[in-house]
Amino acid sequence: MRISKLLKSWEFALFILLVAEIIILGIINPIFLNLENLLYATLDFSHILLAALPLTLVIITAGIDISSVSVMGLSSIVLGLTWVAGAPIIVALGVALLVGTLAGLFNGVFTANTDVNPLVITLGSLFMFAGFAQGLPILLDKLNFKVAGSGGLAAYQYEGITGLPYSFTDIASTTIWLIPLPFIIVLVFAGILALLLHKTRFGRNLYQIGVNLDASHYSGIAVKKVLILVYIISGFGAALAGIILTAYFTSARADLGSDALLAIITAVVLGGSDILGGKGTILGTLLAGLVLGYLQQGLLAIGISGDIIQVVIGAVLIASLSIRAMINAISQRRQNQKTLLSRSSERR
Amino acid sequence: MNKKLKSVLQSRELLVLFLLFILIISTGLFNSNFLKANSIIEIFNTSLTLMLIAVGEMFVIITRGIDVSVAAITGLSAVVLGTTLNMGWPIALALLATIATGILAGAVNAVGVTFLKVPPIIMTLGTLGIYRGLMRIIAGGSWIERLPQNIKNPNIWRFLDIPFFVWLSIAIVIVTSIISFKYKKARYLYAVGDNANGAFLLGIPVKLSLFSAYTLAGLFSALAAIVYTSQIGFISMNAADGFELKAIAACVLGGVGLMGGVGTAIGAAIGALFLTAVRSMLVFLGIPGILDNAFAGAILLLVVYIDYRVRKSLEYKQIQARAQSEDSTNTGVNQ
Amino acid sequence: MLSKSKLKDKLSRAQSLLSLKNIWKMFSGVSVLKGINFTLHSGEIHALLGGNGSGKSTTMKIISGAYQPNAGSISISGKEVVISSPKIAHSLGIYMVPQEPYIFPHLSVFENLAMGLNIPKAKLEPKIAKALSGLDFKVDLSQEAGFLSIAQQQLLEIVRGLLRDVNILILDEPTSALTFKEVKQLFTFMRNLSNQGIGIIFISHRLNEVKEISDRISVLRDGQFVLDKATSETSTEELVQSMLPKDSLGFIEKQGQKLSKKDYANAKTVLNLSQLNSTVFKNINFNIKAAEVLGLAGLVGSGRTEIAEAILGIDKHATGQVEIDGKILNKRSVESCQKHGLVYVSEDRHAHGIFLDLPNLYTITASILSKLGNLVISKQKEEQIGQGFVSDLNIKVNDLYQDAGTLSGGNQQKVVLSKALATKPKIIILDEPTRGVDAAARQDVYRLIRKLTSESVAVLLISSEMNEIVDLSDRVIVMYRGKAVAEFSAEDINIKNITDASFGVR
Repeated sequence: MRISKLLKSWEFALFILLVAEIIILGIINPIFLNLENLLYATLDFSHILLAALPLTLVIITAGIDISSVSVMGLSSIVLGLTWVAGAPIIVALGVALLVGTLAGLFNGVFTANTDVNPLVITLGSLFMFAGFAQGLPILLDKLNFKVAGSGGLAAYQYEGITGLPYSFTDIASTTIWLIPLPFIIVLVFAGILALLLHKTRFGRNLYQIGVNLDASHYSGIAVKKVLILVYIISGFGAALAGIILTAYFTSARADLGSDALLAIITAVVLGGSDILGGKGTILGTLLAGLVLGYLQQGLLAIGISGDIIQVVIGAVLIASLSIRAMINAISQRRQNQKTLLSRSSERR
Repeated sequence: MNKKLKSVLQSRELLVLFLLFILIISTGLFNSNFLKANSIIEIFNTSLTLMLIAVGEMFVIITRGIDVSVAAITGLSAVVLGTTLNMGWPIALALLATIATGILAGAVNAVGVTFLKVPPIIMTLGTLGIYRGLMRIIAGGSWIERLPQNIKNPNIWRFLDIPFFVWLSIAIVIVTSIISFKYKKARYLYAVGDNANGAFLLGIPVKLSLFSAYTLAGLFSALAAIVYTSQIGFISMNAADGFELKAIAACVLGGVGLMGGVGTAIGAAIGALFLTAVRSMLVFLGIPGILDNAFAGAILLLVVYIDYRVRKSLEYKQIQARAQSEDSTNTGVNQ
Repeated sequence: MLSKSKLKDKLSRAQSLLSLKNIWKMFSGVSVLKGINFTLHSGEIHALLGGNGSGKSTTMKIISGAYQPNAGSISISGKEVVISSPKIAHSLGIYMVPQEPYIFPHLSVFENLAMGLNIPKAKLEPKIAKALSGLDFKVDLSQEAGFLSIAQQQLLEIVRGLLRDVNILILDEPTSALTFKEVKQLFTFMRNLSNQGIGIIFISHRLNEVKEISDRISVLRDGQFVLDKATSETSTEELVQSMLPKDSLGFIEKQGQKLSKKDYANAKTVLNLSQLNSTVFKNINFNIKAAEVLGLAGLVGSGRTEIAEAILGIDKHATGQVEIDGKILNKRSVESCQKHGLVYVSEDRHAHGIFLDLPNLYTITASILSKLGNLVISKQKEEQIGQGFVSDLNIKVNDLYQDAGTLSGGNQQKVVLSKALATKPKIIILDEPTRGVDAAARQDVYRLIRKLTSESVAVLLISSEMNEIVDLSDRVIVMYRGKAVAEFSAEDINIKNITDASFGVR
């Protein structure tokens, strides 16, 4: 019973898909099957997962947060600026995470206290955070503050804030038992979120709000608090993603991650979350993120251009949803047919 | 009549126009150059691509949908225009191919939303990736340059010192507004967005209406591609990148309600104008222009917040008025 | 007015306009219509009766093309047809005025009326004017329809139907929000239409209206027709009997005692409302004592539910003072009410009560999650509580993790009741607790109310079912147009008194 349910689950289907994908890509290009390479490849899409995992929680509440792509750049630039200002890198990291959290707080308070569509709210904040991230160094430069150390503004505009300490940039190249540190962070983050979502009152409330907001209010659930918290988590995750990207590229830039929106939302939706709320799991998003990430890596490895990959990802997104919609419609029809047959034979 | 006047005064279009006016005047106080006709016309001219995309987006939002692929359609159509021109196609044929591309791309979205029942944001996010990818594939990944002069010419044409494209866009916006007010089938879009079940029960072709909304968005994105190509003179692979979100922002600013059933082409156009003006104003005020996104975002949030507050107090007044009218109509009916 | 005999005469000659044969309809494998047959003649006003969930609305939606039947056939004037959409239905001359008004709130009243009609404006305007004056419906055609009152919206829907040149007009509870005068005018209109040979299907819960206007009456129960007779040949008693679920004729078991006078005097006041005001109701003052059942009667829209919503702070604009168990609420909210020992079970189970797409257990424990562990929910404790309610209230579920949406109406209601009871309340407000609930579950709910009072819980019972109010309440307050117009206790609690007060007849 339990096992058959597991086998029918979307997560299991994703797992099979992931294994099949790796095998097929491995047959085409055996280098791909090397465990070390497989793990190393996660570096390229760890930031997608760090933003997609908390977004899963937001989407379960029937909300959305598209501002995370701006928060990545914002936290990156804040990290760089704090460090240039002379703060120890650990403090800079703290400030960057704090900024992400505050950005999430802003989205959360706005969403929880108005009936404005979260898409509009986070669209507004997407612009606001991105503009702020882009403008901040220039603004500071105007105030005679050296943003990029000796290189000055011109150097900054070309390559971002560079010269970050190795103790920080090593995050991207450190591995523990072959696993890159960023991916370990992803796994730990996923573990914490999964516990939050599936074991705690907060997680339960997320589903309840997504399934029936009014009933949540009538049940005495602290809807506002839960919503504010979930957007804070989303902002925190995006900031974490921004930090990882900064370490990976060894420079702090305002536009880091700005092209990741499609991939992030595709990971969540392919992972089984319903954009209309009430459905979704952390495991699903994690697996879907891996499927997408390896798809991209694999296609690149066998020489397919990034342009075609984008087409493929878009098609995967649409196909995954239309196939699932069709399966639902068919099973519904079958169920009705069955009842009809049994009922009419009963009457005879 | 009085009621009409009141509703005009309460309209979002006017609120944003008023805000824009105040911003222009106060910027002018700092830097009188800003008030010169040339700079105003220049802002208008710069806003045209966004304006056309936003008007297309409006059709979709009115039906309670959303289309984040519009700017990608603009990019794709522009590449088709540039490629066909450089292949030596006559300009009329190239323009036709461009428009066909836009319509086709919009129709693909429409099929996904109306027949495959994929939620609009997901469908168009998927095609956003697809169209951007196709665009690069067609262009071979590099800019399209050395376009023939005949496509760049319209950008120089002027009547009464005002660029041809400004005239053209104004005409398009006005004609679109008139059609969407007077033409019965255009009203279907509003009805579908306002109450899809009600529209279905009244026998309105809901699917066809949705289909045409997404297709129209594609058409307008292609028109934007033509203006863009003519104005810029080459096509970069980032053409109109990020305009999908700006177009949505322009619509929301201009009073197009994301809950469907509300909005005008003029509103969307004013919203686009506003977003474009912000950047110029910052420059004239000596603030780094790169901060324009921050200001645009903040203004968008401010406007939707004000709108929320006004709406809530109106709703309450409506309930009160309704309760009173029920009181007065219902007294002494039962014998 | 046409005499009944003349009408009958006319009917005998009339041909069958619409006929349904062996229609089946299923949702997710649950049969809602079980092979129904139905005939409408031209010039006939055919009333359709039936309780909630009996299949009336589904039948009408099939006739008007909104739903497709899973089996069976439909013919119009003897010719078999497939009504695949409302548009096809319109072309076949069928129009349905739906129960809830489907208006376009942001479009003008005129556009709301004109939408979907293929008549030039010049011809349409006089037609609209005629329909409006016929119903004596005064409305500004240029105003946004969202500003109309519910009654006006319903009239707007009726006008939509009248504007279409139809052979078959379906009116699904058109009178529920209308005033007496408006109902009379509507009936005159309906008679005119039927004299022109139009067949009308009229759905209503009001038996007196049905008997007044209809030529024929059919009763649906549980997806099947159980009665089909000429109006003149049936009686109110027969109609009521036929609508009742087969096994609940005794209605309420008379078990347990109502409060004695002495007990009542000694009982502690657990809820006290003073000077409660809102846009819908005015100046509400009353209290409830422990172990008491206070019935709150009145017509739909008289302000009963709104009082509950004001107490719970769902209506944020309401003013006044709420005192629970001796403590005045500083801030009215669902949370603070629950903390002080008051819970509310809403009349709208699906919208406000239950989480349909989640395991039923998650609804049962929704209000007490904080008691199941500080951060992590104790699965063991939660299942224990859920299992307790499942056996106590006799909830029929496969297991605690079965989605609530797959349960029957009665079991869903029990799940929602469990959610409220789990908070261990001192006062429970039950708003239409037996709506859409089958007979057996209904008895369970009544037994539960008795049990609660025996445990000193106070019950505020809001109900439109007179028998429920009469048999269960110790005291009854009747609402009429936002005012508490009457209070009855002991022998004065009877259907006549309550009905009179509900209709403002005093």
